Amino acid sequence: MEVSFAMTGKGYVLLAADTTAVHSIIKVKTDVDKIKELSPHLLMAYSGEPGDTVQFAEYVERNIRLYQIRHTYPLRPPSAASWIRRSLAESLRSRNPYSVNLLLGGYDTSTYTPHLYWMDYLGTLVEVPFAAHGYGSYFALSLLDRYHDPEATVEEGLAVLRRCLDEVSKRLVVSPGKYKVKIVDKDGIREVEL
Amino acid sequence: MSIMQYNGGSVIAMVGKDCVAIASDLRLGVQSLSISSNFEKIFPVTDRLYIGLPGLASDVTTLREQFRYRVNMYTIKEEREIEPQAFAQLVSSTLYEKRFGPYFIEPVIAGMQKTPSGSYAPFIAATDLIGCLNFAKDFVVAGTASEKLFGVAEGLWEPDLEAEDLFETISQTLLNAVDRDAFSGWGAIVHVITKDKIVILSSSAFISPGLGLAS
Amino acid sequence: MSRSYDRALTVFSPDGHLFQVEYALEAVRKGTCAVGVRGKDVVVLGVEKKSVLQLQDPRTVRKVVMLDDHICLAFAGLTADGRVLIDKARVECQSHRLTVEDPVTVEYITRHIATIQQKYTQSGGVRPFGISTLIVGFDPHSPRPRLYQTEPSGIYSEWKANAIGRSSKTVREFLEKNHKDDLSRDDAIKLTVKSLLEVVQTGAKNIEISVMESYGKVTSLDLAQIEAIVSDIEREKEAEAERKRSRLAATAAGQAAMSQRVAGSEAPV
Repeated sequence: MEVSFAMTGKGYVLLAADTTAVHSIIKVKTDVDKIKELSPHLLMAYSGEPGDTVQFAEYVERNIRLYQIRHTYPLRPPSAASWIRRSLAESLRSRNPYSVNLLLGGYDTSTYTPHLYWMDYLGTLVEVPFAAHGYGSYFALSLLDRYHDPEATVEEGLAVLRRCLDEVSKRLVVSPGKYKVKIVDKDGIREVEL
Repeated sequence: MSIMQYNGGSVIAMVGKDCVAIASDLRLGVQSLSISSNFEKIFPVTDRLYIGLPGLASDVTTLREQFRYRVNMYTIKEEREIEPQAFAQLVSSTLYEKRFGPYFIEPVIAGMQKTPSGSYAPFIAATDLIGCLNFAKDFVVAGTASEKLFGVAEGLWEPDLEAEDLFETISQTLLNAVDRDAFSGWGAIVHVITKDKIVILSSSAFISPGLGLAS
Repeated sequence: MSRSYDRALTVFSPDGHLFQVEYALEAVRKGTCAVGVRGKDVVVLGVEKKSVLQLQDPRTVRKVVMLDDHICLAFAGLTADGRVLIDKARVECQSHRLTVEDPVTVEYITRHIATIQQKYTQSGGVRPFGISTLIVGFDPHSPRPRLYQTEPSGIYSEWKANAIGRSSKTVREFLEKNHKDDLSRDDAIKLTVKSLLEVVQTGAKNIEISVMESYGKVTSLDLAQIEAIVSDIEREKEAEAERKRSRLAATAAGQAAMSQRVAGSEAPV
């Protein structure tokens, strides 16, 4: 079952998503990247209906890129989040809506602040200090309530993330084995090994 | 479960003496799982007018954007600020436009309406999700805790409350009602509007022993 | 029914011309000059830049634009028409990536732009785009630079070097005389600047140069760099003129000596 987490720290946002592709009861792939790099300082973890997810993520990616080519500068995280939310909200009342849930993490290079947004397929958007989607959220949110620190260093943040992943491995019946973890901060995006 | 209860949240507005107040909780959830304790559902329309939008969170944002657009267009075309009465009609027609595929929101409006004599009179209103207006003289409620809000408000509210007393009344009504509702709570925010100032207080500010308020 | 035939502005003249298209070409000829030069593994775009007004922000007046990571476009003609066409091309670049994953090839986007331009010569209620474009770039997974041109009629073609806009004929003739295959980066830039100097009297400050060296690697030269190249060219021209002068003087001296010798040889007689 799909699991994704994200949290903010001091000057960065951390995103983690499982890497399994599931088809009915079978794992068909274990190295899927479900975190898209939308622009130099914007990450998007996506989950939901297979097919819809990749299709929607690529649609967003191309539009964010088009904006950057048209205007020289990329959309800032709050504006990007608003645009994506509206796309989902309009899709919800269309003939066939996208079933995609998102975590959007970005670093605003104009105000030097990290932003994290929780978004679901209904077009619900809220800025949060930490977030999760999928069954993992039932374990991780309470852990993060206790251990999350918005002023944590990257090492401390990763340690908290580790706790979340361990808890999921321990308690969730259908826990995924591998995760991809990405960070966005003032220097851009990088992948980290846990 | 109804889609109106999916994200949770409640709003209440009350009339006082030359003042009105509007308050909401701050929870955003997905059924019983809480996602955020900082999801505002009350938005300023003008300096003397606020709207609360309890219901489906996606539509909270969509309608907020929609109302902001329509009010801005009104302000530019009319070269004046919109009055609460006119805004209530705007809200009603915006919702009725989607009569057969509605926004899942039951708006609550609170503001100070200009009178012909040049002074201001308190104004509150609420509508259902397809825009049926309800102009009340005392208080209006909406959201997942609406039944409880009705009950507590019925007991606590009295006519001609001064701004400070109105604040106390609306705060107590909201906090005690949402405590009995699993889908509302997790902090609150209160706006008190008089003819020349607005006081906004969030729960972290007013749940302090100094103010003599219980959480 | 009367709508069906007289809506089109672009109708043939009795002798087979499309006047609107020819007028569009006239708008191109009035536009500022743009030059494209292909080197061995580099392609250069140079444009004549109108002097901006004293209070104008020069960054907002752009004649060389990015269409995608690996494609640049310069145009001559009506700037307003250019803007619209560029936007259509940018959307197509992203749309192409979305539908088939791969970036567009230079020819693909050129053909797309030319097709749009052609449509505006045949549809009702529209007028043609008053611009010609030079499109440069690299195809994905290819080291070979590309240079294409489009015209208001919808014609497109590939070139080694070409010019559009004001005095483009002069510049093209210059390029025909001076272009060699497999130019290095510096030589390609120099040839671009040199050819532009044929028609830009005001020198470096009215020239803008963009260089694409490989897939997605685009740089635009700053004023100091262009000034250095211009003074380099001027020095060369000066040296050339000096050589000519001294050769002329030598010839003159030779002739003088010759006639003297002739005169001298006559003397003993």
